Amino acid sequence: MFALADCNNFFASCERVFRPDLNGRPVIVLSNNDGCAVARSNEAKALGIKMGAPYFKIRDIIEKNDVAVFSSNFALYGDMSGRVQEVLRTFAPSVEQYSIDEAFMDFRGMRIDDYDALAKEISRRCRQLTAIPVSVGIAPTKTLAKIASKLCKQYPKLQGGCYMHRPQDIEKVLRRFPVSDVWGIGRRSAAKLAGMGIDTAWEYANLPEADVRKLFALPGWRTWSELRGIPSIEFEDMIEPRQSICVSRSFTKEINDAPLLCEQVANFAEGVVRKLREQQSLALEMAVFAFTNRFKENAPQAFSSRLSVFADATSEHRIIVSAAVKAARELFRAGYGYKKAGVVITKLVQQSDYVKSLFSDELSDNKEEKLSESIDTINRSFGRGTILFGVQGDGRIKMSREHQSPHYTTLWKDIPKASVK
Amino acid sequence: MDPHKIEDNDSLEALMLGGVKAGFPSPAEDVREKLDLVKLLVRHSASTFFFRIDGVSMVDADMDEGDIIIVDRAVEPYDGCKAVCFIDGEYTVKRVKITRSGALLLPCNEQNSTYKPIPVGPDDDFLIWGVVTWVIKKA
Repeated sequence: MFALADCNNFFASCERVFRPDLNGRPVIVLSNNDGCAVARSNEAKALGIKMGAPYFKIRDIIEKNDVAVFSSNFALYGDMSGRVQEVLRTFAPSVEQYSIDEAFMDFRGMRIDDYDALAKEISRRCRQLTAIPVSVGIAPTKTLAKIASKLCKQYPKLQGGCYMHRPQDIEKVLRRFPVSDVWGIGRRSAAKLAGMGIDTAWEYANLPEADVRKLFALPGWRTWSELRGIPSIEFEDMIEPRQSICVSRSFTKEINDAPLLCEQVANFAEGVVRKLREQQSLALEMAVFAFTNRFKENAPQAFSSRLSVFADATSEHRIIVSAAVKAARELFRAGYGYKKAGVVITKLVQQSDYVKSLFSDELSDNKEEKLSESIDTINRSFGRGTILFGVQGDGRIKMSREHQSPHYTTLWKDIPKASVK
Repeated sequence: MDPHKIEDNDSLEALMLGGVKAGFPSPAEDVREKLDLVKLLVRHSASTFFFRIDGVSMVDADMDEGDIIIVDRAVEPYDGCKAVCFIDGEYTVKRVKITRSGALLLPCNEQNSTYKPIPVGPDDDFLIWGVVTWVIKKA
């Protein structure tokens, strides 16, 4: 059996941990830079606030309904996520963190008499220890466990835990479950299925195997057999290095001059290098992108990106930062107000797997590597941003985080206060 | 440097982990482990939180302005324990008395009669936020 533990409305729930007064009140959390809603409490969902709704478009609803608004507080969310994971690890030896708010658990090889009670107990413990509400679905496959966890959210009487295993129960649920909501069914597959008249997970699970193979290849077949109760997706409790790395940001004020855009992009590139080096990967290809505000209807619109290919896979600061700045300079066009930009490493390899090309210049590479190592060491000891490349500027553009809650669990000056009475 | 002073901007993690190990392994390393204060104070890291005492309206409450209290949500409230409670929109440390029908929140100082006991019913999920396990105060 597998479980999926999914934190309900995670960021909004984190904001409530130290603010019990917000229980029952609509809460939303805004993306980086207060751009749009990225988390909504159930009360906020009931008001019709959609995922990704731009902040300026929902201000009226917010004011009328006394919605509590928060800027993202990733220090808090990261800490709370770690706490939930820790609780989960007390229930199963293998826990695969799938995202900041979801984890799979593997119970194979364990003797458990009552899975339904276990699911409810896991949810209760998470709630008691961390104050985060968690939905726990247990089922014979990861894909079914994910569906079971969604049932917990629909039916409060399940008390946060749902064990779905009898074929007749699975059939009943799948007959009503939209195939587009099944884990692993992407937007394109969903559109293809809609064209075929396949709307529910049950209809998909009953397609002939050969058709699934032909139309949806191996990933589609895996999902198909998982829906039929056969575990087909590997359990990954080892953290895989990320296959792409992206640092991007929306700007508080639109950027309309080239040096300022280059400065921002240089900072993003530096962030990308830090992440690359942390996971000991090397970049082969990098894309720099910038786009205008698509909600401004009469302003000229641009979505531009430039791809850079590195002759040799690299994680060296100077090479990556200067390539990113060059790309930013090339894609910038006067007369456009850029709202968002970013740097993405689109292809990367693990340092340990990589064999240098025959023609690479060993000597100069060594020099670059030493420079990068020194930058790492200094920034690690004295704080991020101690050493910067000239092009990174002094961070003239600050992120807007007007509604950020205190770092309750990660900064001494922010720990909550209690009086004695 | 004042060893008592916790810099406001120090991250909790850095303080808890201490310095980075470097250099040759010491031959004494296998012999004895250092006493680890964090291990003593934080029994359950998933459920342990820190609060700072701010505003003490009684004497002899064992807690003073500026003290750091350690709160562990894994500990079930027991008779006579001190707990951080969320009352009227703020956190207040109270003494818990377990009764047959639930619990009562009493003032921290038994002699104090300014504050009336507050009954905790079965639906008051958030009234008791967590049980205080340690009080850290400057000497």
